[in-house]
Amino acid sequence: MTDRRREEVLIRIEHAGGLTAGVSNDVHVGTGVAEADVYGVATFYSLLKHPNEVRVCQGLSCHLAGSGEKIDALSAADTPFLAAACLGRCDEAPASWDPRGKNSLPDVHLTAASDDLSINLAGVDSLSYTGLTAARDNGADWVIDELEVSGVTGRGGAGFPAHIKWRGVANQSVTERYVVLNADEGEPGTFKDREVILKRPHLVVEGLAIAAHTLEAHDIYCYVRGEFGAVRDALKAAVEEATAAGLLDDDVAWHFVDGHGAYICGEETALLESLEGRRGMPRMKPPFPVEAGFRGAPTLIQNVETIATIPAILARGGTWFRKLGRTEPGTKLYCVSGHVPRPGVYEAPMGISMAELLDMAGGVTGTLKAFSPGGASSGFLPASMINVALDFGSLQKVGSMLGSAGGVVLNATVDMVEAALVQAVFFEDESCGQCAPCRIGTQLVRQALERFRRGDADALEHIDDIAWGMQEGSICGLGQAAALPLLSAMKYFPDEFQSRVSS
Amino acid sequence: MNEQTLTINGVTVVYRPGETILEAARRIDVDIPTLCHDDRIEPAAACRICLVEVEGSRLMQPSCHSKAQPGMVITTESPRVSRNRQFSLSLHMADTVSDRTIAEDANPNRLFELADVHGTAGVWAHVDSPRQGRPLDVNRFIHFREDRCIGCALCTRYCDEIEGVTAITLAHRGALTTISTADELSLTDTTCELCGGCIAVCPTGAMTEKAALAYGKPEKELEKIRTTCNFCGVGCQLDLNVDRAANRIVKVTPPPPGTTVNDGNLCVKGRFANDFIHHKDRLTEPLVRDADGVLRPASWDEALDRVVEGLQGVVTRHGPHSLGFVSSSRCTGEENYLFQKMSRAAFGTHNIHQCAAT
Repeated sequence: MTDRRREEVLIRIEHAGGLTAGVSNDVHVGTGVAEADVYGVATFYSLLKHPNEVRVCQGLSCHLAGSGEKIDALSAADTPFLAAACLGRCDEAPASWDPRGKNSLPDVHLTAASDDLSINLAGVDSLSYTGLTAARDNGADWVIDELEVSGVTGRGGAGFPAHIKWRGVANQSVTERYVVLNADEGEPGTFKDREVILKRPHLVVEGLAIAAHTLEAHDIYCYVRGEFGAVRDALKAAVEEATAAGLLDDDVAWHFVDGHGAYICGEETALLESLEGRRGMPRMKPPFPVEAGFRGAPTLIQNVETIATIPAILARGGTWFRKLGRTEPGTKLYCVSGHVPRPGVYEAPMGISMAELLDMAGGVTGTLKAFSPGGASSGFLPASMINVALDFGSLQKVGSMLGSAGGVVLNATVDMVEAALVQAVFFEDESCGQCAPCRIGTQLVRQALERFRRGDADALEHIDDIAWGMQEGSICGLGQAAALPLLSAMKYFPDEFQSRVSS
Repeated sequence: MNEQTLTINGVTVVYRPGETILEAARRIDVDIPTLCHDDRIEPAAACRICLVEVEGSRLMQPSCHSKAQPGMVITTESPRVSRNRQFSLSLHMADTVSDRTIAEDANPNRLFELADVHGTAGVWAHVDSPRQGRPLDVNRFIHFREDRCIGCALCTRYCDEIEGVTAITLAHRGALTTISTADELSLTDTTCELCGGCIAVCPTGAMTEKAALAYGKPEKELEKIRTTCNFCGVGCQLDLNVDRAANRIVKVTPPPPGTTVNDGNLCVKGRFANDFIHHKDRLTEPLVRDADGVLRPASWDEALDRVVEGLQGVVTRHGPHSLGFVSSSRCTGEENYLFQKMSRAAFGTHNIHQCAAT
């Protein structure tokens, strides 16, 4: 039995204006959670530790767009700011974000509306809720069977078949169940979930309502990235609208929880820890959330994009969805940023190539050198692999991953040693610090790259051993993937490393 | 029979449901190294040195945390498992003090002890960790040396799960992860009871005794003498860590968990209240007052005669009930029995009390 007062810890710290001396004690008095424990939780989250500072993004896309100069200029002017790992605004690179400002987002480039897209960002977000009606009419088994037929897999990055999760929760004997929306989008190069909620919030609300109805859950928790206030508001407004229209089950409560600035909380069990008022450190698995998730009860956690595909799958059939894909089922939202004229979120058949995506994004600014197909965790691929199918299986075969499909395009001006360093800094900043391979390994990788850049030719000597251990031993995907950008840069661009040594 | 079987290194092992792979392995004396594990504490599986191969699992599994399952086929000795152990030791050593003499300047260092057995993957560049200490902590007993911390969280989990005190916590995240109190207060301004358990469980001496550190002799050069704590009647066993050459008790450590009644625990008195032993004002022989009121050394016979004479004088002048006897909770049950016997039989009063009785 978890103590529910604990779940208030993060919000109480936020309401206190972040962590200052004495706040830990106040929250301790209010919740019964030990003072040191509260302090440990608060210091884990960037937005609680530093609630007021303007953030300047130093993610890869922003780096390519000159965030380094921006940071240097701010430092020179003594303007207070924090260099942030990634702000989820890769389309407006170099991005910055003010916790106390409005932070409006420019219109992002999207695929034109079409009937052959499962999400269809440019389409009309209507209150039809025909998927929910179908779910009510046909029952849980039918819903889950349709998901299985559709072949939809988790769009957050893991690519895990959705129907297995749904069936996993449905088969539990425990009747207390939860549905959790993972809207803690944070993978550098990724800004699709943000757009799904801003453009098609009713798809997300309907998808969640279907999940709760099907799995007989009475509480839906929407965990929205802390930097995405407008996104949270859009989702909330859609829930209110659907409620006012009488579309939602009245025995389901909707809860909105803000993230507090920790990339790792996008990992589903770290997200659960955060929901329960703890440091966002991933849990050991098994048990998996379908068996013991939020409050120890069976929990379905799905990424925004995955949930948003559900209404169309039920309204138009699993077979329809499956056939949309080229190499794997469905259409997929692909983010493209970096050296392209039209950075945006493009929905295309699963298995489209980077070459085709580049056509949508207006080509390459300059000459293509490399691309990161699926966010920082996917490493780099050379221009010669531009025709590889961007799906879970094909990218895994070439030692990369589709991940969250946050594609970043690098032109010939990019120094791959620098690019690898940018990714290494990201992983070091966002490691939760729980397990040694990730906590120490990410530091070793970043420091080795910096020494190498300064001219120490032997600095990368042990990298293979270090990367091996990180991959084999880290608890979660962050540490397992953290060395991949460097390894892939060394593998595909050996000359750039060699030339540094010889010069 | 509530027992099941699995295979470890080809040997069939009978285990009880609920046991971990680590516990099952111990049943056949297969030693799996651990850094962040303590049998008294919930496993964290954070150091990852205890990973073993489990047939059917793509990734190696932490034996401290993974439950044994019927029919599991486990390998604890293989090139992959060994490589991970060596990786793990090189990794941790890169993040802490790499010179063994300095690393073992006070407390033993489990990293080097394990490296003696399992080897390393070589010496890697030192990680310039941004982990913060608590330089403003003015408590007298416990010192946190952040340069030796490996973030295993044994100390914070011990403080939380065993002592129920939660004075210290993992704070910050990633490379900055450190051990802190709320608002970085001195331990004496927190719920800390100064039991020193954090020192006992720390595998690298990051948590250490201030006085012993100042004394400057490593624990491995001290002789351990087992004795019974006499601060109260519980009977905790403790080890006096003695510098023979100087005839001096340098510090007190608890015997390993699972070996004595106190299961590796001590309280502030047992662990730290020992400076009286070598104190210059400590009485080492009986003293009696001369006729002019000045104390002088005496034999035990003379001193006890003086006590008897004084107490009997009171009885003669005012009756036995004018006397009262107060015993100490530092006495054993037998001593307390004798003391009340003396009160009642020798002096004829039932005015006998013991400080732990109320």
